[in-house]
Amino acid sequence: MSEFFSPGPVRDALTSSVIALTVLLLAVIAIIKVRKDEPLAAGFAEVYRRRRFSIAVLVLYCFVALLDSIAWVGGGSVSEGDLVSAHEARSVIDRVFSRPRERGYSAPLADKEFYEGSPLAARHVLGTNVLGEDVLYLTLKGARVALLIGAVTSLITIPLALFFGVLAGYFGGRLDDIIFFIMSTLASMPGVLLLVALVMALGQGTLSVCIALGVTSWVGFARLTRGETMKLRQVDYVLAARSLGVRPARIILRHIIPNLLHLIVITFVLLFSGLVLSEATLSWLGIGVGGSWGQMIAQAKDELSRDPLIWWNVVPAGVALFALLLCLNLVGDALRDVLDPRTRRLRA
Amino acid sequence: MRADGQTVLFARRPNLRGEESAQRGLLPVLLGTLIAAVLALGCTNRPYADEESHEPILYVPYGEPPKTLDPAVAYSTADHVVTGKVYDTLLDYHYLKRPFELIGGLAEHVPEAEPLEGGRVRYQFRLREDLRFARDACFEEGPKDPARFTEDGARRVLATDFLFSLSRVADPAVGSPVVEPLSHIDGLVAWGERLAARRKNDAEFAKRRVSQQYQEIGALSGFEVLSDREFAITLHSPYPQILYWFAMPFTTPMAFEAVDYYTGEGGRPSLDEHAVGTGPFVLKRYDKRARIVLEKNPDWYGVRHPEWRAPAATFPSLEGVTGLSAANIEDFAPLAGRSLPMLTRIEMRREEETIPTFGKFMQGYYDTSGIARESFNRVVHEGGLSAEMAERGMRLEKSVVPAVFYLGFNMDDPVVGSAAGERSRLLRQAMSLVTNSEEYCRLFLNGRGLPAQSPLPPGLFGYEEDYKNPYRTLNFEEARRLLAQAGYPGGIDPKTKRPLKLTFDVADTSPESRVRFLFWTNQWRKLGINVELSATNYNKFQEKVRDGAYQIFQWGWVADYPDPENFLFLLTGPMARSASGGPNTANFSDPEFDALFGTMKTMENTEERLEVIRKMRAILERERPWIELFHPEEYALAHGWLRGVKPAGLSIATTKYYGVDAVAREQARREWNRPILWPAWVFLALLAGLIGPLIGRYLKERT
Repeated sequence: MSEFFSPGPVRDALTSSVIALTVLLLAVIAIIKVRKDEPLAAGFAEVYRRRRFSIAVLVLYCFVALLDSIAWVGGGSVSEGDLVSAHEARSVIDRVFSRPRERGYSAPLADKEFYEGSPLAARHVLGTNVLGEDVLYLTLKGARVALLIGAVTSLITIPLALFFGVLAGYFGGRLDDIIFFIMSTLASMPGVLLLVALVMALGQGTLSVCIALGVTSWVGFARLTRGETMKLRQVDYVLAARSLGVRPARIILRHIIPNLLHLIVITFVLLFSGLVLSEATLSWLGIGVGGSWGQMIAQAKDELSRDPLIWWNVVPAGVALFALLLCLNLVGDALRDVLDPRTRRLRA
Repeated sequence: MRADGQTVLFARRPNLRGEESAQRGLLPVLLGTLIAAVLALGCTNRPYADEESHEPILYVPYGEPPKTLDPAVAYSTADHVVTGKVYDTLLDYHYLKRPFELIGGLAEHVPEAEPLEGGRVRYQFRLREDLRFARDACFEEGPKDPARFTEDGARRVLATDFLFSLSRVADPAVGSPVVEPLSHIDGLVAWGERLAARRKNDAEFAKRRVSQQYQEIGALSGFEVLSDREFAITLHSPYPQILYWFAMPFTTPMAFEAVDYYTGEGGRPSLDEHAVGTGPFVLKRYDKRARIVLEKNPDWYGVRHPEWRAPAATFPSLEGVTGLSAANIEDFAPLAGRSLPMLTRIEMRREEETIPTFGKFMQGYYDTSGIARESFNRVVHEGGLSAEMAERGMRLEKSVVPAVFYLGFNMDDPVVGSAAGERSRLLRQAMSLVTNSEEYCRLFLNGRGLPAQSPLPPGLFGYEEDYKNPYRTLNFEEARRLLAQAGYPGGIDPKTKRPLKLTFDVADTSPESRVRFLFWTNQWRKLGINVELSATNYNKFQEKVRDGAYQIFQWGWVADYPDPENFLFLLTGPMARSASGGPNTANFSDPEFDALFGTMKTMENTEERLEVIRKMRAILERERPWIELFHPEEYALAHGWLRGVKPAGLSIATTKYYGVDAVAREQARREWNRPILWPAWVFLALLAGLIGPLIGRYLKERT
């Protein structure tokens, strides 16, 4: 039993699976809750009606990421070429693709190696990379990394932005000056440089990349919440609550934050795509997260100038990244149209 | 006519017929000008002046600009591109012979070692007569002492100039990287210490001119000036490799006038940016971020006295030379006996990107080129030139660089190092058995590498082609057996019951290099050993190395000079990183190996020496502190009009042996650079098709 708590593959597998299933559970609960809330459900139904295809694609990504998160140790067939993997946490995706590595490049659906022409162990839908790994497999594995980065960073960014934005907007005065000064300072620094410096300082790794991205991307949203809070502070029911002597913390939690909810949802979706893209930039600079699409692109960029051309390493990662971002943005736009009271009025 | 602003602006007074036709005439004029402009621009893409097209000028690109031209300091290949041509050396290498052989350069002969009492060794050098420095502004200062200057005002090269250059190497303020090997010269280090101490204690002294300071410090005990043309160097202990250092620009003669003049003050450049040498070429233009021009030195002894047929100033005959290809023989035979240099000028242009560099080479605007990984398959076909390249009359010169790349184990580590005794040795042997460097060369180097069997690369004494290291031949069965014997059956560490976990510490975090490192770790996964990559930046890596916190690392070593000592010293105990901060990063320490090294180091290249080297090799074969990976191969492309090219791998002066058939080059350039004009015509047609109707419309609206 102690094996479950000592660091190692068993614990990795367990944590990953538990977190993934919890997220799934939370999502299901959220959907049920939303369905009960009449106006919100109508809003989401409207978004779904308008962006059916994009939502289906996003669900597919989430499904792949989920499959790649549910992992366990042992069992299944293990390839001859890798005795270590039998002792590692392997996800459903890993198990589906547990074929031996090829010797090197092979084109999509080719039956022999690209340069030497030696026979392959299997056909690969998207070919193999220089190490003989299946490109489809790597591309699918990138989905989990992308969603993980987006989600973890959003979890850092949104509370941070909300905290500072609401505080500055609600209390104003000196506090507002200080917070606004911090925000302006951060906003005036070149983003990529700051990111690189932070990753260098924190050391490489998924979490430090997420923290760096979180720290550098909260300002925009904080500005938005600050403005919105300033406006809400003057609304009648808030004034009434204040004159009745309700404590600020209670006002913020009961009146302000719920009224910012639509902003949070829209920002979350749009921020998400921005973060996935930022990670790709970091990967290009050599400090990204292992296994991400950005890293696949960075690894394969020289191959584009090869003669004959090797395109099947860059293209799938690029397409996967592009599709995710496009769908996120389309859904985000639809959400804004539906949820934001101003655009709703405009449309009406 | 509509009276909006636009038309009012263009409105003219009453429309006369004649004026209208003048308007229409504008279009052909406009088009004509455009066509003329396009033709004038598109006709030539030649980056050089037309009048130099029939001169024997060498055009080469360079990437990294030299950091310094100071011969006492310059150590990188980027520096050597200039210093190797401008500064001449006492000794030289035979251009064609392999293994490398020393010949006389500024010195008439390669000196014999004379053993003295107390283990000391003396070498006596005799300079050629009538050696001169290149003309330079620094020699025009003050009166010309006839002892130092010829009648026509050229500065003669004297024995004291070599003393001066050795003094500079010893001077701590110069910061020469080669003090360590040259410290075998008796009294060199003590002299440097005396100088530093005097400077520290005597502020007045430190302000004096450098040449004056050196003079006041007094004699360097290991250097005797016998006459203007003769001097002797005494070593305090035998070190036969010292002669190779006399074939490098570190020991080139240095004029004290140049050092005193080029101080970097008063608007004059420092010696980092200016060169006053005795070599076959002189620096004419040094705009190092864009362009470097060298010209033939009319004061070089080879140019002034071709009748001497000095070996380092004449293209060697093919007698006694082995291992040349038929194409080489055909190329070199007519050149044999020609006096050098055959070029009048060397034009070097900075190129930062490989693809445009290669493009200009393909157009004939550069005479030589490396092969970028991207264009490899276009250029090379099954180990030879592709049909496209061969048709253009190019030549492919392959040469194995005297270098070795290796994976090293930290022998101080408790798991992979010597503390674990027999167990770790078996582990290292097993890992060595499955490391497939041939496949690595194929995947990442386009096959440009020779799988290594021992640290010694080809071209060096002690390299034996038929030696096959039993632990460098792939054998999974044997590796599994050894691993089980080491106590890790199937790679399982009995302590954790999981695959043995090791770390591979690398100093490069880029995604591209990550793939390369993963290639190695994937090999070991086949055995069940879980080697994790720990990629950090270079500083962090250096820190790890300093603290001894590493297990496996990858490194390379390029020969300074062609002697096995220069490779085997990397594995001697006294050079261990942990003990002395030396370059033995594997911290390998074996008393038997060290004793054999001590013997081998001072031996001549004889059968006995080979025997000692074999014994050392056997120790490495068994102990496996390194997994020798490969010796890189250099593929160089040269156009057919470039003659006398033989890659050396070592940084030695080769350009003086090059010749250029400028007529053939000009012909090829013209043929390969015919302007392609049809896109311009298409563009113009489109433009006309677009503008014509517009003008027509405008004229119509106006009436």
